Amino acid sequence: MKIVGVAACTSGIAHTYIAREKVMKAAQKLGYEIHMETQGTIGTENELTPEQIKEADFVLLVVDIKIGGKDRFKGKKVVEVPTNTAIKAPTKLIEAVVTKLHATA
Amino acid sequence: MLKKLQLKKHAMTAISYMLPLVVAAGLLIAIGNLTGGKVITDFKGGYTLPSALTTLGVWGMGLLAPVISAAIAYSIADRPGIAPGLPSGIISYNIGAGFLGGMLGGFITGWVVLALVKYIKVPKWAEGLKPMMIIPLLSSLIMGILMFFIVGQPIVWLTNGLTSFLNGMQGSARFVFGMILGGMAAFDFGGPVNKVASLFADGLLLQGVQEPEAVKILASMVPPFGVTISWVLSKIFHHKIYSKEEEDNIKVAFPMGIVMITEGVIPIAAVDLIRLVVSCSFGAAIGGGLSMMWGIKSPVPSGGLFIVPAMNRPLLFLVALLIGSVITGLILFAWKKEPVEDDGLEKDMEAEEEDIDIGDINIT
Repeated sequence: MKIVGVAACTSGIAHTYIAREKVMKAAQKLGYEIHMETQGTIGTENELTPEQIKEADFVLLVVDIKIGGKDRFKGKKVVEVPTNTAIKAPTKLIEAVVTKLHATA
Repeated sequence: MLKKLQLKKHAMTAISYMLPLVVAAGLLIAIGNLTGGKVITDFKGGYTLPSALTTLGVWGMGLLAPVISAAIAYSIADRPGIAPGLPSGIISYNIGAGFLGGMLGGFITGWVVLALVKYIKVPKWAEGLKPMMIIPLLSSLIMGILMFFIVGQPIVWLTNGLTSFLNGMQGSARFVFGMILGGMAAFDFGGPVNKVASLFADGLLLQGVQEPEAVKILASMVPPFGVTISWVLSKIFHHKIYSKEEEDNIKVAFPMGIVMITEGVIPIAAVDLIRLVVSCSFGAAIGGGLSMMWGIKSPVPSGGLFIVPAMNRPLLFLVALLIGSVITGLILFAWKKEPVEDDGLEKDMEAEEEDIDIGDINIT
């Protein structure tokens, strides 16, 4: 399973990066490949490449605000949750999404 | 239905775009004022650097409503929202509807633009005109009329009412208001509840009500200072309440607290949420109540201890801050359990995770 995602919170200085960290750790623990971009107040960091997006099985948006570049994910399966959910329960979140994906596939 | 409107997300987007502007403008005003600057009214007469800084800060604050309005409209309607969102906000600012008007204007602008984009159908030759002329003109026209004649006025009354209500509060009412605001500002360590309190205080600053801003600043610093005090107490009395890892976090959280960033406490709060939230909110509520009751005003929305000299009663502010922090520190010291020393991060992650509502997750 390959995942790409974006993290962005309101103040864009703390939760954004905590969420990225948590989600990436959880995904790697589950044995998935993951790339997470952050859109903080400083701007976009770790920007996703078109190849990463193309290869991904789904897009995980961990965002509290409107993010830029959503059109990159056209035609992809996109999941959007608040940063809080991802910080509280990253593993459960990813497992739940994967289960749902298998159920609908 | 209400969830589908995503009101919170749009508002949060606006706050996210507004924050750096508020901080910059506020600090400019502070630097200008502290060096003797005044708002320039006559540009022909020449002016000093401090006055230039103060003026720039005040202008920056004036951009607050337009930025909020444009950001909300952008969040709702994407790029076409920005152009009509800015004028909606500037109307709000100029007729005195302030940030409340800016927010409402932003939402209406966003929805109007969405509707226009959806329902206006043009022949093929006019397709270029639609985003470049038809949508901007129609949306600005509609919003202009709405803001000037219909939406604006009630908001002006509301804003004035709120302002005079806050200014007219006495004694215990002030204390209670300060407690609520302070408790809210400390409640989630820089999260959405804090941002609501923060937006409220920043908005009132625009109306010239400066007390809530002092409460906000105080409440943002109580959690890191309170935690630090509890740690110092634990060292003095040899009663261990923090693990090695947490102690390292506190050493980072304290300097962050000085510049009013509460988020440093999050790593400590994450593993002991209830105790931290209760103690920090309580300390901040008491401190906030005192600050409000003592009429402490801050003309600057951000900057931590460095802008205390810009307040009207700096010493009293420090006393209120100290009382709030000590209360938080004492509660934590008395309530926190001895830590279970663990060797690094490799704990079973799943065991600590909270339950989330999986039914809420939608794949689109």
